[in-house]
Amino acid sequence: MAKIELNNVAHSYSPAVEEPEYALKKCNLIWKDGGRYAVLGPSGCGKTTMLNIMSGLVKPSEGFINFDGFDVTNISTSERNIAQVFQFPVIYNTMTVAQNLGFPLLCRNYSKDEITKKVDQVAQTLGLEDLLDLRATKLTADQKQLISLGRGLVREDVAAILMDEPLTVIDPDLKFRLRRRLKEINELYKSTLIYVTHDQNEAMTFAENILVMDHGKIVQVGTPLELFERPKTTFVGYFIGSPAMNMLQAEIKGKNVVSIGETVISTETDLSKVKSKNIKLGIRSEFVELHDKGKKNCISVEIDRVDDFGNFQLVSARHGKSPIKAKVHRDIAVPAGKAWMKFPETRCCVYSDEVLL
Amino acid sequence: MNFKHKYLFLLPGLLVLIGILIFPVGFTVRLSMSSWDSFFPGLDYVGLENYFRIFQEDSRFWEAFGRLSFLSVTTVTLQYVLGFALALMVWKDIAFKRFFRVLFLIPMMTTPVIMTVIWKTFFHESLGPVNDFLNIFGWNPLWLSSEILSKITVIIVEVWQWTPFMFLLLLAGLLSLPKEPYLAASIDGAGPYRTFIYVTFPLMAPISIGAIIIRLIEASKIMDTVYVLTSGGPGTATETSSFYIFIKGLREFQFGYSAALSFTYLIIMIISLTIIAKVLVRLMIRDN
Repeated sequence: MAKIELNNVAHSYSPAVEEPEYALKKCNLIWKDGGRYAVLGPSGCGKTTMLNIMSGLVKPSEGFINFDGFDVTNISTSERNIAQVFQFPVIYNTMTVAQNLGFPLLCRNYSKDEITKKVDQVAQTLGLEDLLDLRATKLTADQKQLISLGRGLVREDVAAILMDEPLTVIDPDLKFRLRRRLKEINELYKSTLIYVTHDQNEAMTFAENILVMDHGKIVQVGTPLELFERPKTTFVGYFIGSPAMNMLQAEIKGKNVVSIGETVISTETDLSKVKSKNIKLGIRSEFVELHDKGKKNCISVEIDRVDDFGNFQLVSARHGKSPIKAKVHRDIAVPAGKAWMKFPETRCCVYSDEVLL
Repeated sequence: MNFKHKYLFLLPGLLVLIGILIFPVGFTVRLSMSSWDSFFPGLDYVGLENYFRIFQEDSRFWEAFGRLSFLSVTTVTLQYVLGFALALMVWKDIAFKRFFRVLFLIPMMTTPVIMTVIWKTFFHESLGPVNDFLNIFGWNPLWLSSEILSKITVIIVEVWQWTPFMFLLLLAGLLSLPKEPYLAASIDGAGPYRTFIYVTFPLMAPISIGAIIIRLIEASKIMDTVYVLTSGGPGTATETSSFYIFIKGLREFQFGYSAALSFTYLIIMIISLTIIAKVLVRLMIRDN
């Protein structure tokens, strides 16, 4: 258990080149002790690099890493006392489940009794107690992944448990249960959990804090709610939420007012100091209201399609050429053809040069 | 489709197969039931007489077979251990990695018979450089004419010649191993010894078995090294099965009897290699 600090950390896989390409751009970050984090981003955005830097498998080309104020940048993985679970389960084929779970303790010269005790404990938490004497190769993929996780949990003093898309190989129903179990484990052991994923649902349901990355840069750190309601950049808006946030090209018309074509929309954002011409208005489809008459903050749309998802209807519409999507209650009758959509003032996010104002 | 001419198209392949495989084996079996030798050439029929001779009278064949087993198991074991060690050495990033990788392969690229002649010169008891050097300490070991040392000489030459083959196969295996198990092992705090025992060795088991079996098959044919180095001597101290069959067939021209020997040898090798392969799989990959 430790507070992990990244100071000016950056990493390039070929730092010797004149203009190195950074897999992870310079960042400063603090992971709180006992926190439950998710790192979210598209493939190749630097998530795994960041994780490997923390576990010590990759040495950053710039910057320092501190564990509880202690510089560990040059310390080896095993001495950092960290646990890491990989995308595909790693087990020791020649050992039984119990030996697998006890291996990290064996390597650290624990006594036999202690090993048995801790292995039993962890096996119980993970529901593996009936399998302890089985050879590990006989297990299914998800049981193997539990063992990988268990090897991290037997050491109660680990600084953090890092997980690199650990539930990829596991089927959806079990995924849900495992995520809940991970949460319980986090509460039980108070260990810092860092969870890398490209699946937003996984991140949203698991983490207290989510870190969104894109092209080696940390774009936003926040709670699931913040990411959902106030995405800091248009990228986060697109990436988080399903469907993606509606983004409409706009122009500034006054202190709080933007216009989309002819339509004027008032917001709660102070726009008096903005100079850029690249203005976008973003709104979540969940907050868009459907009306049959034009009122304040309403925009005329042409409805293209309605998809029934059972618990809600997804209305796909157009204003001019820009698409707008709205999630409406299943009981609402959606008119065909022309309609009006209302953007509530409090829900509008204005982006200047792709950044939230 | 008209299959009228299918046999016509199969014929070339079948002819080759019959010509180089089925006919020789069949002929050997027939030959082994004759008493064809240099005095009475011809395919007469003596039943299983030759086989009774092998199992009842010919202790020299069985001794040669025992020697062969000892030599091939010893050389292959040594080759495996040394080859694995060398492969591990140049597997990780070390200075001059490429240079060493090629260097270790050189013995395999040389012509075995010629290298054996050179080794024979090395180990020559009165003129060779090895004893020249050992004379400084007052030693003069009989590399080629002592019963025990001559076996060791054969082993040394064989190991030198064929360790590179093991090295090559095992290095290829090592280079294809996944990374994650090693990352996991280092996170679990395993040192180099434990990493080898629990990660590298189990992962290498399948390719190890393949390499060992290939080398065992090759090693059991050992003939040229013995022929050049010691000619089976002193006495029969380094005589192996194939060399003995060679003597019976192509020196004493007992074709019928040597055919029986060859066939017996073939059957024994097929059975024993099958058993060895099964045992190795059982030992190394314990669960399948």
